Amino acid sequence: MTELYPTTPTALSRRTTLRAAGGGTLLLGLGLAGCRSAVSEAEAPGAEATAKPRRGGTFTVAVNSDFTPSLLFAQSGQSLQQRLVYNTLVRYDDRLEPQPELATSWEYAKDGRSITLKLRTGVTYHDGRPFTADDVIFAVKNLQNPLRAAQLRSTAAAITGFEKRGDHELVLKLAHPVNNLFDLFEFMIITDRNSVEDAVAGRKLNGTGPFKLTKWSPGTGLSFTRNEKYWQPDRPYLDAVEFRVIAQADALLSSLRTGQTQLSYGVPGRNLATLAADPELVISEYSTGGGAHYLGVNTTVAPLNDKTVRQALAWGIDRERILKQVLGGYGLASATPWPKSSPAFSEAARTHYTHDPGKARELLKSAGHTGLDLPLLHINLPGDTAVAEAVQYDLKQIGVRVTLEPTDPATAQKNLISQSMPGLWTMSHGFAQVQPSTLAVSAYPFNEAKNTSRFRSAAYTKVVREAWTTPGTGARANALRQQITDTLLDEAFIIDLVIRGSVQVAAKKLRGVTLNKFSYLNLDDAHLAG
Amino acid sequence: MRGYLLRRLPSALLVLLVASFAVFAVLRLVPGDPAAVLAGPDASAETEAAIRARLGLDEPLPAQYLRWLGDLLTGDLGPSYAIGGQTADLIGDGLGATVELTLGALLFVVVLGGAFGILGATSRNRWVSTAVRVLTTGALSVPPFVTGVLLVLLFSVLLGVLPPGGRVPLLTAPDLGVQYLLLPALCLALPSAAVLGRYLKDGIERALGEDYVRTATAAGIAPRRLLWRHALPNALPPVVTLLGMQTGNLLGGAVLVEAIFAWPGLGQLAEQALVRRDYPVVQDLLLLLVTVFVLVQLLTDLVHAWLDPRIRWE
Repeated sequence: MTELYPTTPTALSRRTTLRAAGGGTLLLGLGLAGCRSAVSEAEAPGAEATAKPRRGGTFTVAVNSDFTPSLLFAQSGQSLQQRLVYNTLVRYDDRLEPQPELATSWEYAKDGRSITLKLRTGVTYHDGRPFTADDVIFAVKNLQNPLRAAQLRSTAAAITGFEKRGDHELVLKLAHPVNNLFDLFEFMIITDRNSVEDAVAGRKLNGTGPFKLTKWSPGTGLSFTRNEKYWQPDRPYLDAVEFRVIAQADALLSSLRTGQTQLSYGVPGRNLATLAADPELVISEYSTGGGAHYLGVNTTVAPLNDKTVRQALAWGIDRERILKQVLGGYGLASATPWPKSSPAFSEAARTHYTHDPGKARELLKSAGHTGLDLPLLHINLPGDTAVAEAVQYDLKQIGVRVTLEPTDPATAQKNLISQSMPGLWTMSHGFAQVQPSTLAVSAYPFNEAKNTSRFRSAAYTKVVREAWTTPGTGARANALRQQITDTLLDEAFIIDLVIRGSVQVAAKKLRGVTLNKFSYLNLDDAHLAG
Repeated sequence: MRGYLLRRLPSALLVLLVASFAVFAVLRLVPGDPAAVLAGPDASAETEAAIRARLGLDEPLPAQYLRWLGDLLTGDLGPSYAIGGQTADLIGDGLGATVELTLGALLFVVVLGGAFGILGATSRNRWVSTAVRVLTTGALSVPPFVTGVLLVLLFSVLLGVLPPGGRVPLLTAPDLGVQYLLLPALCLALPSAAVLGRYLKDGIERALGEDYVRTATAAGIAPRRLLWRHALPNALPPVVTLLGMQTGNLLGGAVLVEAIFAWPGLGQLAEQALVRRDYPVVQDLLLLLVTVFVLVQLLTDLVHAWLDPRIRWE
């Protein structure tokens, strides 16, 4: 039956709907056809790539945290931009041998109490001012300033005198010999002394590096363009570099998979498997590692003041499982802080504590402790929580009940440096990738004078001090490193768990990208290949 | 009206003053402070003390509070402690991004919600009405952090037609900006569009069942005219009220969507500032929120007073 006047109007016929949909699509298509595509804009460099190094092109780096200008002189979560805008005095090669950068040659005095640096000539800052020895003097004094929060401040503070011999030769006089001076030279960026306050406020970064900072949008990213007057001839190849802040892990993965970004060091290990199968991406790992997860122990809290209990905890943790489950297999399970690049690394020390719950229980029993109940503070971020949960599970197997205390990063940091941690905590440390003495004098958890564990030992202080002031090569240096390692393993006030992999995810067409030992991105030779 | 406004102003200012004190005090009660964050995990006590002194955090709390109020009154929000840059710039940029995202989402809510409502109420095709029901149920029940990932997977990874995240301001480059905006705005809009669509569908169906529609139908008015000129206008008022309420939800939901799509809005800024204990940014952001609510309340009171003169004389 046909209704002449239906009570419920149907209004939209199929034809009308199709017409409307078609019209809408046409309008959208016409609108977008005349416009640029945000996707192809992002992919442009790769699309134009050729087989050999060539000048030109822009690429985008995905970073999971923003540039923090106030931490310009400290190693913070995000230090990639340092070597784009600035140079350092030297750069380490893979064997920790210093290579010339702004310092072209150097000579230690026989007593190790001074070093003469010859500085590169013809180097200018981005604003055109020439680089001279005064800039190096300023850089050292700047790091001695506690406001800069530089981790290598103690090494900078060992430099007590400066003798200028013209504009490009400088003698640094030391209060006592130190063997990590080149760590300082690799770490210390040479900034413009006239605009340093502008730099720490994020207003202007004036350096001698291969790229100029053209824009910083807090929370969004940074833009760099090539320094046409860079002191290395014909470098850099790239026209420009963009940093894009993408804090969320899934968004970071998507940006890499879609080609919106072409380089990242911030992909969590457990997410790397997703990218490993992508033929357009290459995953590589640096032997320096990316810091290490450790279990800290407050040695003033009973029964953790008993070394045997601390050792039992070290035996009770399955480091390989943490490596596999939390870091996706990227990194190194290790009982010591040293990555493979460190002169202090040894396989025997790395595997000193393996997962042996039986031995752990036995040690606890021998120390007269059963049914322990311990608090464990951890940062309430996914990776840190996963490590804490793994430790909690493992320690439960040896009869130690652990209560987790999730804490936000700011509070955890406050507790760390104010020595107010509970019995146990898990966090990360760095500075094991360079001279071993740097770890002991610059990384707070290992500091012989004052550390969060409240561990003090005359023997540890003596060996650390001696290791710092003895020349870094030779039998004596090796013996001292071994003594530090032995003390760390025996006293177990910091129980190292796993060294995180320093993992680079890069577009296949991107070549010549390197990191220095402090994770400063070096793009001098970076280019797009076919 | 002026007298009424003058009577209402002191209480609004008092609310702002109390709120500023509460914001300041609560932040100081939270453990951890900016000096510790800026000093880093390897800092000495000397470094932390030097940073604390530079930021003025070694001053007594009342002095810090009064300094903050003084800065606010002079319009100088000062520099951010940890993020860097000027607080006013950070909040201004974040606000622009969040408003852009919310307005984009609102447009989607109106278009999609309208389509859901009208199609659901008028289509006699079983497949269409089932599809609308499934879509609205899905949009309502799947949370934005799932929808977001699915949208990125489909439009960015598989089809490669839209960027997976980031932002280009619409005013800077409209052609690129709109492409960056589409996915986050759609993700944010879907739940609200579903709610709106259901309300609209019910409203239209109710209106179409009224006697005047039967009469109009009998008088030979075309079904389409009946829908657009009679039923829809009658169904809209409660939907418009709902849309106003959903706008608030969109602003709140933007925080999550911003994280998924790396959209640098106020939500991202607030999270970043809180994690780093960036007191100036957090304080000014929270006070800005309170100010907006106080102003909206004041405006509402004024409108009521304008509409109903008795209120003015109470």
